[in-house]
Amino acid sequence: MADKSFEIFPKNSNKTYGLMELVKGTAPATEKEPEDTIFSWPHLFYVELIAVLVVTAALLFLSLYVGAPLEEEVGRDTTPNPMKAPWYFLGLQELLVFFDPWIAGVTLPALIIIGLMLIPFLDTNPKGSGSYTFSERKLAVSVYAFGLGLWTALIVIGVWFRGLDWSWYWPWNDLHVHKPPIVGLKDLSVIFATKLGISEFLGNTLSYLLVLVYFAVGLIIPVFIFKRFYNRLGIIRYVTTMVLFLIMAGIPVKIALRLIFSIKYVMVTPWFKI
Amino acid sequence: MNNGDKRITRKDFFSLVGWGGILSTLGGSVLGFYRFYFPNVLYESQKVFKIGKPEEFPEGLSEKWKKERQVWVARNKSGVYVMISICRHLGCTPNWFTDQQKFRCPCHGSIYDIMGNVLGGPAPRTLWRAAVKLDPVDGQIIVDFNNRQDPDPVSTENGLQVDEASREIEPFFLKV
Amino acid sequence: MSNLLQRVSDWVTSTQVYKAIFRHGYEDTPRNRSLTTFSNVLYHLHPVKTRKESIRFRYTWCMGGATLLLFVVLTVTGLLLMFYYVPDTRRAYQDIKDIMNVVSFGSTFRNVHRLAAHGMVLTVWLHMTRVFLTGAYKPPREFNWVVGVILLTLTLVLSWTGYLLPWDQLAFWAVTVGTKMAGDTPLFGVEGPFGRQLGMRQDNDIKFMLLGGTEVGQNTLIRFYVLHCVVLPLVAVVFLVIHYWRVRKDGFSGPL
Repeated sequence: MADKSFEIFPKNSNKTYGLMELVKGTAPATEKEPEDTIFSWPHLFYVELIAVLVVTAALLFLSLYVGAPLEEEVGRDTTPNPMKAPWYFLGLQELLVFFDPWIAGVTLPALIIIGLMLIPFLDTNPKGSGSYTFSERKLAVSVYAFGLGLWTALIVIGVWFRGLDWSWYWPWNDLHVHKPPIVGLKDLSVIFATKLGISEFLGNTLSYLLVLVYFAVGLIIPVFIFKRFYNRLGIIRYVTTMVLFLIMAGIPVKIALRLIFSIKYVMVTPWFKI
Repeated sequence: MNNGDKRITRKDFFSLVGWGGILSTLGGSVLGFYRFYFPNVLYESQKVFKIGKPEEFPEGLSEKWKKERQVWVARNKSGVYVMISICRHLGCTPNWFTDQQKFRCPCHGSIYDIMGNVLGGPAPRTLWRAAVKLDPVDGQIIVDFNNRQDPDPVSTENGLQVDEASREIEPFFLKV
Repeated sequence: MSNLLQRVSDWVTSTQVYKAIFRHGYEDTPRNRSLTTFSNVLYHLHPVKTRKESIRFRYTWCMGGATLLLFVVLTVTGLLLMFYYVPDTRRAYQDIKDIMNVVSFGSTFRNVHRLAAHGMVLTVWLHMTRVFLTGAYKPPREFNWVVGVILLTLTLVLSWTGYLLPWDQLAFWAVTVGTKMAGDTPLFGVEGPFGRQLGMRQDNDIKFMLLGGTEVGQNTLIRFYVLHCVVLPLVAVVFLVIHYWRVRKDGFSGPL
């Protein structure tokens, strides 16, 4: 087939075509060929086709063994015991044990999503774009690993360590036997009031102070210890990053306080309780 | 061409009117779309219903109407009250354990006593009590499911409590 | 034999019908390779020449592609399921049972749908982690990362709305808990902080809007069905388009 007789876009005096593309780069792409680039057709598309076939085959094969569950029909008077959300929401459901619903269900997820969106704007480290590296991005990778690890841990607990009445069940416990309930959760302000022999009001104030100190220390100390970090970020990015980080780190702290000291709320205000 | 002073030209005026019109139409449409999502007529189950005469309920907790109407009927020394079987944490249905004399919620382990006070778990408030009154004609208890008593609880050593005497008032308690 | 094949293909590719549909030849020439990508509506999302990095599994893990593939699988199996499912509380559960037990390959398609849904959540997380670890969100690619987070949220909401449709105990209580949390939203929920002060009541807050009423019932089922099958997929497609456009325009990350 002669190329000359085969025009893809036939010349037509009534039409003008222009194809222009602005490409940004540090070097002209032409100098890179052919070592670094390959034709999309056939190479890339064949790789994609193989991926499609493999994944589809895997799905069909797995579907023979892993069935979609179906429980009994809706019964408004009976909640299944335990009532577990799908695994990707179990992290959230586990958080609900330790925080009020609007915090665990609305505020924290919203902060997670907003925090994720802000990552590119808070990360001023220019290194490590386009390759895997830990040494050049220690802080970023560590913080992300911490967040992901926390989320994964909550999911693992929700899947394998929670049973009837959402009590803690070790893998060797009998899943059909109810465990005794945990009673006697007290607010931090009540603990202060009884242990230190002060009034409710003072106990309350003390608990507010504690939360304030946590954030104050978290915000102020790194400015002096990690001066370079603070200078590179500037005050807006610094405050945003540290507040988000302190909230994230506060989650395991609050969980530990609940589990070790039976503290229900660390801070109680007329509008919200943490 | 205006000479740069504060006078509004005719062109500016029509520009303002035009864009203003477009934006207010858009804004009005958005409001309309938003209002569309709130139904005005609901076809839901009856929220005011009868549960029988007070004599049918002995002292203690009755689960007779839990399945059909999602309420528990309790009687103490002073009279009868009706609690709504919805956990205050996230809306699951708690289960009554007669041997422990406690309600326990399967979703996150909230624990309530027979008066609805929170003994443990993440529930932030006490169980709702529904408004009750006696039908003058046949003497049955009429429950109004959506008229709920929700007093602010107090943090104590034993959990979240509401003073029982303050709760046993009309229309949420029947002295029978 | 190959000579015959050659002659047949030569003849086919010289017909008017072939030339009307395909704007490239059949012979394996660089020009035809370029044209195959360039003149095809689906393929031309890709550049004509790709950097080797983009097909290195060790770099990309292929998770973005896997997510898109699972999305397509979900759409196809979802459409198939729609032929037998009616979002009516009186028959929704029975329809699912029919799909599982009576419809030929019904259980296959439902199982694949459920597997792909869980798989998609997993691949989305892995894709996000890979992009993070390779720093591919750094300037000038910040906006695409934001679009990606939006797609993550859409994936989770799609999952949650789909979860209600079988109308079994698992579905009902998962949605009861989820919408109760909506009722606890600050400012917009009647039970949330400052909700009542802003005039929220049982019948006008955000929980009411989600449920289409005061309880999880028929209104809720149809709302979640429409969201799950139509609204959210359309929104997801819009954001996917932006996502891919950005990948093409900002260029693939990776060592130059």
